Amino acid sequence: MQKLPLIALSAYLLILVSCERDSSFEGPDFNDIYGDFALLKKFEVSAGEVDFATGQIVYFLAEFSKMTKWTLTISHTSTGATKKLEGFSKELNLQNATWDGSTSQFPSFSPGICIATLFTEADSGYRSLEVKVLSSKVPKGTVVADFENGLKPGWRMFVQSGANMSFVINDSGIVPQGNKYFHMGGEVSWDWLIGLIDFPSTSMGSNGFDLGNNPNDLYFNVILNRPPQLPNGFVLFQFKEDENEDGIFNESNEDMYALEIRDLKPGWQVVSVKYSDLVSLVNGEPRPPRGNNVHNPDKLHTISCLFLANPNSGFALTKMDYIIFTKGSPLKL
Amino acid sequence: MKKRISFVILVLLSVLFIKQTSAQDKKIWASGYARSLFQQNNMQTPNDTMTPVLSNNGYVLVDLAVNAQPNSNTYLHAMIRVRNDLGGFWGSGVTFDLRQMYVKGLIKKAIRYQLGDIDYKLTPYTFFSQSEELSSHQTEVIDIFRDVVHYDLFFNKNNTWRQQGAAVDFSLEFDKGIEEWEFNFFTSRNRTSDFGLQDERFFVGGNTTIRQSKYFEAGLNYIDLMDIKGTSRSNSYFHNPVVTGTSAWQFQTQHLSLGLHTESGISEMYEVNNPNFNKQRDYFYDVSLKIKRMKSNTSFNVGYINVGPQFRSVGAQTKRVNFQSINQFYSRYGNEQLVRAISAMDLMQDVSIFQLNFQPPLNDYSIAYDNINPYGNATPNRAGMMFDAQHIAKDTAFQLFSRLQSLVEVVGMGSNDKRSFTQWHLGGVVNIDKFFKKYHKNIAISFGYTGGQTIRNTSFEEANIDFFQSYLDWGIRLELVSQFDVIASQRFIRAQGNEFKTVRGNSTEVIQFIPEFFSLKEQVLMLALRYHFSPKNTLNLVGQRMFWNQERSGLPSYHLSQFAILYTLQF
Repeated sequence: MQKLPLIALSAYLLILVSCERDSSFEGPDFNDIYGDFALLKKFEVSAGEVDFATGQIVYFLAEFSKMTKWTLTISHTSTGATKKLEGFSKELNLQNATWDGSTSQFPSFSPGICIATLFTEADSGYRSLEVKVLSSKVPKGTVVADFENGLKPGWRMFVQSGANMSFVINDSGIVPQGNKYFHMGGEVSWDWLIGLIDFPSTSMGSNGFDLGNNPNDLYFNVILNRPPQLPNGFVLFQFKEDENEDGIFNESNEDMYALEIRDLKPGWQVVSVKYSDLVSLVNGEPRPPRGNNVHNPDKLHTISCLFLANPNSGFALTKMDYIIFTKGSPLKL
Repeated sequence: MKKRISFVILVLLSVLFIKQTSAQDKKIWASGYARSLFQQNNMQTPNDTMTPVLSNNGYVLVDLAVNAQPNSNTYLHAMIRVRNDLGGFWGSGVTFDLRQMYVKGLIKKAIRYQLGDIDYKLTPYTFFSQSEELSSHQTEVIDIFRDVVHYDLFFNKNNTWRQQGAAVDFSLEFDKGIEEWEFNFFTSRNRTSDFGLQDERFFVGGNTTIRQSKYFEAGLNYIDLMDIKGTSRSNSYFHNPVVTGTSAWQFQTQHLSLGLHTESGISEMYEVNNPNFNKQRDYFYDVSLKIKRMKSNTSFNVGYINVGPQFRSVGAQTKRVNFQSINQFYSRYGNEQLVRAISAMDLMQDVSIFQLNFQPPLNDYSIAYDNINPYGNATPNRAGMMFDAQHIAKDTAFQLFSRLQSLVEVVGMGSNDKRSFTQWHLGGVVNIDKFFKKYHKNIAISFGYTGGQTIRNTSFEEANIDFFQSYLDWGIRLELVSQFDVIASQRFIRAQGNEFKTVRGNSTEVIQFIPEFFSLKEQVLMLALRYHFSPKNTLNLVGQRMFWNQERSGLPSYHLSQFAILYTLQF
């Protein structure tokens, strides 16, 4: 027993000697705060040509001597399509500087020459290179309407007999996808509704919309453009479900969800909403749906697009393109 | 409503006390404390036309406790504080508070327990109330106000934390093998639920120590500050468990006594179901060897500590002073009404800047006052040697203390270049009357000096650190006539150079460094007249004048004078 203290002391010293810990320093690197900036690896692209339609991507490479804010801007030399990537890092790589053909500012990237410009805040420097797009990105999903081939026979359109009415397909100005979009405009002094267009499932073919039955993984997307000087118009989408599958939507006992789009920024933009986030609206206010209160995308019967405006607000205008359902994530175009 | 309830309780307790005292002598008795304080402050800031120069305040308070011993194994204590701010006539400034209440006793003459308010501690790395800044060397005049703060906030020289909960301890004795095996357990409620997203938080822990012989003992300590699942709607739960082991070896020869003491352990801090909380996990060890000469009161201590950068122990690292709080007196000053920085005088007497609850984030600390051990021994990211020497003269004519610490960071901050810290301390008391055998009035001179240097050299000039801090105290106590003392002291504080304030994130990880520059000069001069009615009953007249200047902070310099009358009585 007299040896116990010595044994304990030996064991204690052994434990101390065997202790290890991570020796890397704490906090932000002083090199990133006070160090000089230098480009250690020049700005490069993984491929000079890219075929987005086949699912190809390109990524950009660069390495700096310290962390810096950077902005990578890819611009189409002829259409003005622009993609912007931003970050704060010591390098550009596959993880933070990948381009899948999508755009930040419409129109979409079409085949042609693009210039990628890297701006680094640390030295306020610009570096550029060229990327050739062989084909445009083709989003995966169920396209309800892209207006490229005019109005489909199964679509139903109602337009009020107001002043300066224009519910037509147009191809002027910036077109976000393809070459054409739908132009909705007019002035109706006696009603909020200016016009509407229905997209019934029957217009999609024998399988209808074919969206599957998972509302949590399904996104409704539409590209809209409302002129900033005409903020009075707004768009209401209605999603009518044929829950008893009798081929008819019955407003009194079947669910109708809605998406009201009022506050749009200037220019073309993608509006996306998860199908399960759609709510039932009555005069713009959420109300319980009248059917089974379950989102059933597989039973979607008709999508109605209503263009509305306050009857006292005068002429209203909104442009619309590329109505598409995507799975897994919102539309990246 | 609260005042009425307290008042009713007080009356009931008083009636009970009077009735029971006469019936059962010594079973119920009263005790307490009374204090009266009046302060007149005068603050002078150059060109300041916004801040009132003079301020007066004061109060009278009585802490009235009822103590009961219903049987030989049970003791009850309840204390009510009645306070009346001066000028609060007709009851408008009167407050009634329940100051403390507990019951303690003995079960089967073997298990001790205490319920209610408990003062508890374990070790400097687990559960320990580290002394506040600028308190390592005290002159008596400074203690006049510091004792008031400590009394009000339940701080004491044993470094216990005041908690509300329960404690149990017992021990087992053995015939052979080991002498004694002690067990101590406690639990306290640290935070209540808001029934929203804030869980109820408990602090639990304990210690067990085996005393093998007079030569060796070993102990195990465990604490955990933890959220209780199900007490709110929150799905994440905070935990900060710390496990440490202690040991002590004692050896003695004819001339020397040797003691080897160790403590080492690991800590974790994490939140269950919170992926944004980065788990902190680290270890520490502390080894010290104490050598004492048997024929004199001279002792030496040499130690080595290594505390990891991610060592987290809320019970030991929560600071007494909340340096993010605002002073009670002259909280804003100058024409721009800037927030006045916490000064040496505030540390001495402003109760409002102190805290009692444990704070999981590492608290802010004052770089100017203590940059080297802001969280005491449990300061994370420190490693190095420590030397202590102490000598007490046989006739207690003088006492001398000295300490030297030489530390470095375990890991660098912002780079692999580590800070180095050096701190030296010298202090003592000289009882001059001991040198004159015919003089029987007490004359004592005390002094203390603490200096510290922080250095870091990096490849970036902007990240280099050269920071010096010091504080010097000297004081005198002169017993003019019996029971009447004149006491005085002077304190000089300096902080010069540059350092980086560390900003920490939600997981207490380092996320940012803020460069700070110091040119602090503080000076406090105090003079007091003290009359002892009895050892527990004193009247102090205290005058003090402080000068504060910190040019590089952008705050205006000022003079603050104060005259105070302080009467205290313990009964």
